[in-house]
Amino acid sequence: MLYLELLIQGIIYGSMYAIIAVGLTLVYGLLRILHVAHAGLFALGGYLGLLITNATGSLLLAMPLAAAGVGLVGMVVYRLCYHPILDRPPYVALIASIGLFIAMEEIYRLVFGPYGLTYNDVPLQSQIAFLGMNLRTAELAIVFGSVILLGTLSYLAQKTRIGVAWKATVDDPQMAASFGIDPLKVRYLNFFIGSGLAAIGGIFISLLSNLVEPTMGGVPSYKALAIIVLGGLGNVTGTLIASLVLGVVEAFGTIYIGHLMDRDAIAFAFLILVLMIRPQGMLSGR
Amino acid sequence: MLKKRIFMVMVIGLAVLITYAPLMAAETIKIGFHAPLTGFAASDGKSASEGAKLAAEQINAKGGVNGKMIELVIYDDQAKPAQAIPIANKLIGQDKVAIGVSGSYSGATRSAAGVFQEAKIPYISAYAIHPDITRAGDYVFRTSFLGEVQGRGGAKLVGDTLGKKRVVMITLQNDFGKSLAAGFKSAADKFGITITNEYQYSMKDRQFGSIVAKVKSDNPEAIYASGYYFTAGPLVKQLRAAGVSVPIIGQEGYDSQKFIEIAGDAAEGVIITTSLDRDSDVPETKDFIAAFEKKAGFKADMVAASGHTAIMVAAEALKKANSTDPRAIRDAVAETDLKVSTGTIKFNKLGEVLKAVQNQIVKGGNWHRHSVIDDPELLAPPAE
Repeated sequence: MLYLELLIQGIIYGSMYAIIAVGLTLVYGLLRILHVAHAGLFALGGYLGLLITNATGSLLLAMPLAAAGVGLVGMVVYRLCYHPILDRPPYVALIASIGLFIAMEEIYRLVFGPYGLTYNDVPLQSQIAFLGMNLRTAELAIVFGSVILLGTLSYLAQKTRIGVAWKATVDDPQMAASFGIDPLKVRYLNFFIGSGLAAIGGIFISLLSNLVEPTMGGVPSYKALAIIVLGGLGNVTGTLIASLVLGVVEAFGTIYIGHLMDRDAIAFAFLILVLMIRPQGMLSGR
Repeated sequence: MLKKRIFMVMVIGLAVLITYAPLMAAETIKIGFHAPLTGFAASDGKSASEGAKLAAEQINAKGGVNGKMIELVIYDDQAKPAQAIPIANKLIGQDKVAIGVSGSYSGATRSAAGVFQEAKIPYISAYAIHPDITRAGDYVFRTSFLGEVQGRGGAKLVGDTLGKKRVVMITLQNDFGKSLAAGFKSAADKFGITITNEYQYSMKDRQFGSIVAKVKSDNPEAIYASGYYFTAGPLVKQLRAAGVSVPIIGQEGYDSQKFIEIAGDAAEGVIITTSLDRDSDVPETKDFIAAFEKKAGFKADMVAASGHTAIMVAAEALKKANSTDPRAIRDAVAETDLKVSTGTIKFNKLGEVLKAVQNQIVKGGNWHRHSVIDDPELLAPPAE
């Protein structure tokens, strides 16, 4: 019984990680950039979602608006921060990204205050009895929301023209360009979708904790990196599997080895363990 | 040409500043203050510095200290030990403060305390709880409880006042949480408490799903959980959402209106050990609560009251010493006997304070008095 409950908590953690890490792995797959500022966009999603929900009373309205807004900001981040330095070595973009992330945290602090924001009335808090457990609607929404969003994304990537173009560009940018695919368009789309998903992740997390704070991107900023490494850099399926596995490992780990190491330490110990056995990650990249 | 002119103006400006700065400075007495104004602890830094500024304003409105205005020199230490050391050196060497006050966490305060002790400039920790801070030496004082002392108070509250014996602990893994847990455990036997399990979490955790599931299956009579409002708010909310209905006992880290805002209805009935009594009849406390809300625009919390307290103690010592000699100021601090918002401040030989623990409970969305623990033997701080 307890094990089942921990497993479900692990799947909830994993769903949150998945929706954040997918955007990061998309950027890495396309541009070979470790996009740390992704976590800053995740926090921005939390802020926009909360502010719109508080203003309109509708989470259903806030989700797409926040996702679209943050998606646009993601495109701007690409244009202003990464586009001018694409020809530099990858660490240049990494340093720029870390700098941008720190700046974003401090901007949130200045604009929204250091204390964090809370919902006037937190949505999706009704409880559902499930096999003797009390789950919150928000927890179910996180799991099913992630499955639906990521499923839709995968469908679009397989079945639409732009999806195929995107996959082609990831596989071989020069070849794709010679077939008339505009790489810039693909990159913008990439940042729009990845950042939008991060925004949804930010809203999901705020529903559980009822707290959106300037530093809420702190943990995702490095844990999402661990996840995409675990999944085999740039491999979307691997990232999803790694997210779920890590979520479950953390859920059990915090209870049974929590007195030895904290949650982050468990995650990184697991990462090291996996990399010792499979240096290419759980599923290898290309 | 233009550049040269600007340069000349700057040089002249600098020369004027250097010549007259000591004259200007002579009209004020400087109190050094460092707090985390940015970074993860920025909210506590804001409360602490607003409390400190309020104290300085109140003192200056009453004519300052021996005819001189006091001036706060405030730096941002981001709650980082590595930032606190250069800041302490700057406060002592460059700003020439008469006394230093920490509005920061234990890590930063421990580092700065060593520097102040070395320079033999008096230093007061407003709310950092690590035992080693005052052990830096005889120039270092603390106006708040030690973590261990408050943990022992928590054990009395749980085992004696509430009569709950089977307890699960949820401990924040840092100086604050660990010393509270140590204090609670050391007094648990005395009050017949059995600790059935203890879980640890880190400062960055906001999602407690798995700990909540395990606590539920442990089925304790009460939960003793350490944390700050930004970890405790989500924790309490998630415990209650999962159907855990036993009493939750916290401590001064919860002590903020923000905790109630985050946890919402789940906060009702949570009891904490702290040092600010909202329902106090003591004029110093009542006046502080009213004045703080008016100045800062948000409700007073433990950290704000502690920042205010430490500056009041510093100013009183400067007044009594009536001298710029650090030794005289230090001796005046040691002899403090002052009624302030958090109680009556008197120091023991180690520079620790002995005062009653104020237990507060959340009722109707606000903190209110639950009970007071005034047991000098249980709450005695170490003397060496």
